[in-house]
Amino acid sequence: MMIVVELVEVTKVYELPRGSIKALDNVSASVEAGDFVSIMGPSGSGKTTLLNIIGCLDTPTSGRVAIGGENVSGLGDEDLTKIRRDKIGFVFQQFNLIPTLTALENIAYPMRLKGLSGHEERSMELMRSVGLDEKLGENKPTELSGGKQQRVAVARALSNDPDTILADEPTGNLDSKTSKDIMELLKETNERGTTVIMVTHDPLVASYTKRTFQLVDGRIESTA
Amino acid sequence: MIFFEFAKRNLARHKFRSVLAVIGIVIGVLAITALGILGNSVRLSASEQLHLIGNELVVFPYGGETISEDQFTQIEKITDAIPVTSTVDKVIFDEDSTLVAVYGMRSEDISKVVEKADGQYLKHGSSNCLVGSRVADDFELRVGERATVKTQKPRIVGILTERGIGFDINPDSAIILSDKLFSSLYNASGYNLVIVKVDDIEEVEETRKEIEDRLNKKEQVVVVMELKMIVEGIKDLFDMISLFLLGIGSISLVVAGVSILNVMMMSTVERTKEIGVMRAIGTSKKGILRMFLFESLILGAIGGVIGALLGFGVGYLVDVLILKEASYLFAPSSLVYLFLGIAFGIGTSVISGLYPAWRASKLKPIEALRYE
Repeated sequence: MMIVVELVEVTKVYELPRGSIKALDNVSASVEAGDFVSIMGPSGSGKTTLLNIIGCLDTPTSGRVAIGGENVSGLGDEDLTKIRRDKIGFVFQQFNLIPTLTALENIAYPMRLKGLSGHEERSMELMRSVGLDEKLGENKPTELSGGKQQRVAVARALSNDPDTILADEPTGNLDSKTSKDIMELLKETNERGTTVIMVTHDPLVASYTKRTFQLVDGRIESTA
Repeated sequence: MIFFEFAKRNLARHKFRSVLAVIGIVIGVLAITALGILGNSVRLSASEQLHLIGNELVVFPYGGETISEDQFTQIEKITDAIPVTSTVDKVIFDEDSTLVAVYGMRSEDISKVVEKADGQYLKHGSSNCLVGSRVADDFELRVGERATVKTQKPRIVGILTERGIGFDINPDSAIILSDKLFSSLYNASGYNLVIVKVDDIEEVEETRKEIEDRLNKKEQVVVVMELKMIVEGIKDLFDMISLFLLGIGSISLVVAGVSILNVMMMSTVERTKEIGVMRAIGTSKKGILRMFLFESLILGAIGGVIGALLGFGVGYLVDVLILKEASYLFAPSSLVYLFLGIAFGIGTSVISGLYPAWRASKLKPIEALRYE
């Protein structure tokens, strides 16, 4: 199996005026293609830092990170931006759709950034695949419910056909019924072959995943 | 262009704020365009007059009261010259009496200096007269009526066209008599001024020197005025005035620029999180920079075009009302201000947008995402 995410002795230290904080302490882990991983742990344990480093939004203080076999440590902003655009899809807790774009335009945006043609048809297709009515395509995010916004966000994350989807508490702002729907959607997405790595503190949500990294004080304590 | 589309929608999101920013640019560009066109029209009008009288020299007596016959002969040896005698006197038209300038000129010279609107010029040694346009208007004079000057009652044989203020003579509020009639009435000796028309405008300076050298050899007896210099002086003055006005216009554009800077800064702060999301999902720094620059470009372009068109309209009004001539407006050198205004509007706006755009593009995605 191909390894899509590989972390080798990754340490992240935040320098603050009151001293330094070690958010990640010598973390090594790897995720294979097609895996569905949840990252759990108490708040302040370094979950989001880990996800941000995997997502090329943050860089480790030391250690090596490889995404899709490519060592990303030491890459410049432009290259990291391209990796985020082409190899990773993000799903956020607060949906984070672009408010001036319609649902369909939000889904098409990463494709347009990449300069892909046929993004209209593909966006429609993605809308259907995340269980949204095509009629909602022209709606602005504020005209959609939270659950529907998160579906659009999942479709957007899938639009450039990434190897990995990174989800940071994707159900954190949703009720239990909608949470279940979104988890089903992520599960389906994973079953179609996309690797999903998700941060959560909810064991019920984590139960959808194949593996769980338990983080404590910046270290992976256990992998279940 | 996805970032252009973004820019349009972001501006539409805060319509009122965008409109206010545009109004600032409109005012600045309007000022620059209107003042530029006005200044240019004045310059063109001055140039036109320069063309008409630029080849003229006027010789005035220095110290003494008149230019003597002998001095005049010396001028005539250098070039053709038009001697003019003048005074101010009470003239009666019908029953109204008024003070006007009275000029005495040789009949053959008259048509070289003034133009008739009606009737004819004076014949040699004529005992008739010509009246200026303003006098004719004020007293509703017609050709054939008579004026009373001292003991004589010369018949008005011609009415002159309006000439405007001149540096040599001001015939609009004057009557013109033949030299013979003038000297019989006023017992004049010598001339009050001598007008010299030089054929080639390039030789004006040289002719002036020649007259001065010859007449002022021992002591200064005449002053030679070069109308070209006067008109050029006026042109320079207007250039300075229009530069000053343009300066004021530029200040309003700078103020507009500051307001755009303000609007764009507000916009970057408000949209920090959005920028973070855009960066996270793969938008490059350049993309963010472009989006913000497009926003300021759009503000500048809308403000610039509206301002330039309004400025053109104001320029038209001013040209028609003050210069009474709209043709200067369509001269290429005036139309330049239309495009200059637009360019300044866009330039100011884009320059003001540079810093906020740069700041937005520099935001670290991870920090921007955390912003609430």
